[in-house]
Amino acid sequence: MNDSMSIFHLIINASTVVQLVMLILTVGSILSWIVIFQRSFVIRRARRAHQAFEERFWSGIDLNELYRETPSEQETVGAEHVFRAGFREFNRLLPKTRSPQSILDGVQRSMRVAWSREEERLTLHLVFLATVASASPYIGLFGTVWGIMGSFQSLSMAQQATLSTVAPWIAEALIATAMGLFAAIPAVIFYNRLSSESSKLLGKYEDFAEEFHSILHRNLQGRADSDAA
Amino acid sequence: MAKHERRVGYGLPAILAIGLHALVVVISVISLPSSEVESPSSSIVQATLISTETATDQAQRAQEARERAAARQAEEEARAAEEAARQAEEQAERQAEQQRAQAEAERQEAQHEREAARLQAEEEARRRAEAAEQQAQRREEEAERQRQEEEARRQAEAERQRQEEEARRQAEAERQRQEEEARRQAEAERQRQEEEARRQAEAERQEEEARRQAEAERQRQEEEARRQAEAERQRQEEEARRQAEAERQRQEEEARRQAEAERQRQEELARRAAEEAASRSLAQAIEGESESVANARQAEEAANSFINLVRSAVEQAWMIPAGSNQGAVVTVSVQLGPSGELLGASVSQSSGDSAFDQSALQAVRRAEPFSELRRMPATAQREFRQFNLRFQPGDVR
Repeated sequence: MNDSMSIFHLIINASTVVQLVMLILTVGSILSWIVIFQRSFVIRRARRAHQAFEERFWSGIDLNELYRETPSEQETVGAEHVFRAGFREFNRLLPKTRSPQSILDGVQRSMRVAWSREEERLTLHLVFLATVASASPYIGLFGTVWGIMGSFQSLSMAQQATLSTVAPWIAEALIATAMGLFAAIPAVIFYNRLSSESSKLLGKYEDFAEEFHSILHRNLQGRADSDAA
Repeated sequence: MAKHERRVGYGLPAILAIGLHALVVVISVISLPSSEVESPSSSIVQATLISTETATDQAQRAQEARERAAARQAEEEARAAEEAARQAEEQAERQAEQQRAQAEAERQEAQHEREAARLQAEEEARRRAEAAEQQAQRREEEAERQRQEEEARRQAEAERQRQEEEARRQAEAERQRQEEEARRQAEAERQRQEEEARRQAEAERQEEEARRQAEAERQRQEEEARRQAEAERQRQEEEARRQAEAERQRQEEEARRQAEAERQRQEELARRAAEEAASRSLAQAIEGESESVANARQAEEAANSFINLVRSAVEQAWMIPAGSNQGAVVTVSVQLGPSGELLGASVSQSSGDSAFDQSALQAVRRAEPFSELRRMPATAQREFRQFNLRFQPGDVR
């Protein structure tokens, strides 16, 4: 096939530095796409799990029963994790202290920790996407500049400088920029999209934590009233 | 909720990402196959016109120098001949101009002469007529004088007659006396008178004759003078015309002769130059058969050098398509203009691979201005206006 001017041949014939740059960009692109896919799956599942958990939570089920049904803490994610952390802390503190305020404080702290872990889990590798999005155009540009430098160096040794002698070098050099942009554009788009999705989910978790906290507070308030009575 | 769903692994995303990139690469490879050929590989282009025989470069250079010298000499000669021709032309022109001026002057002169002759003739005629008139007058005066004399004589005669009559009358008496004598005398007298009258008539006639003669003489002289003037004028005119004609002919003859001489001189010069060149070439030929063989080789070598230059230029510009067959050969027919510009390139023998053929054509077009052609000898240039180039990929990676 007459494809020695194709991207494949240009990459093969490029100088080592440009090839290295291209390799970095390719790896970065592949990794960013892995992150994109992985994050997309994670967030979609988290959203579904959150919907399912909220349905169950607000279905009027007994909280102890719900706590028992949920799996152990390492495997829970999202709002379920927050609920488990809070409820476990509530159950542990309830026999030890009579002050509802200290129980609620402990529950809130525990839920904040769980929320913070959920945040860490959801935004995992998104920073990598941001890095790829911002850095790969520069890396590609570096490759292009290096390639054009090489082309002009070889041009100075050529007998006659026609466009046809410069063109392959320029094309080869420009491939690096193209690859940088190819890696950066999806990374930018998906970084924005995934970070907004995750912050939306985290907001939902926060809302749930507040609601759960208010339920526990109501519960403790009722028991304090009954104790006082 | 199922536990296995809680963890999202990296295997599937990695597969998806790599698959995506592979897809992109495949699409780019499929969508770009018709684009340009790029291969700075050291390929070999062979031109079919070449003989691989090698000869010394010195001989070629000597030949070139000789040819250059000959060309320069011929050029100089041509320039000299041109110069000479121009000079001759100028000279002829100048001569013609001169002749024209001369002819003009002569014509004017002739006119002057004619005028002068006419004036002279008129003057002459007038003078002659005057002279004739004077002569006639003189003659008339003479005649008058004669007449007067005659008159006087006649008067005297009449007197004498009267006296004689007187005498006769006187002698009447005497006549009676001497009647016989008287009668005889009378008779004599009558005879004499008759004679006298006859003589007088004769004189009268003679006078008339003289007058007529004078008139005739005058007319004749006038006629003569006129004729002479006319003849003189005609003669002079004739003379002037003949002279002008002769002068013109002479000058034309002169110019023609000069032009002829000039032409002959130039021809002579050209012939001598040609002879010289011939003798030189003969001398060169005599220099040795090996030399002539070397010359032939040098011509070929000049061709070779040009072809080599073309070949290297085309080779540099040629980018062999990557997937082309190693054994593919394409022959490209190239037509060049006088200054080495490409007039046309066509595939005369295809390799069967159109991309390969196109790459060869493009190589020729890229290498286009074969300005080396101008440095070649003129005779060789004509040969290399059209040649074939054989493209064969050599050591392509």
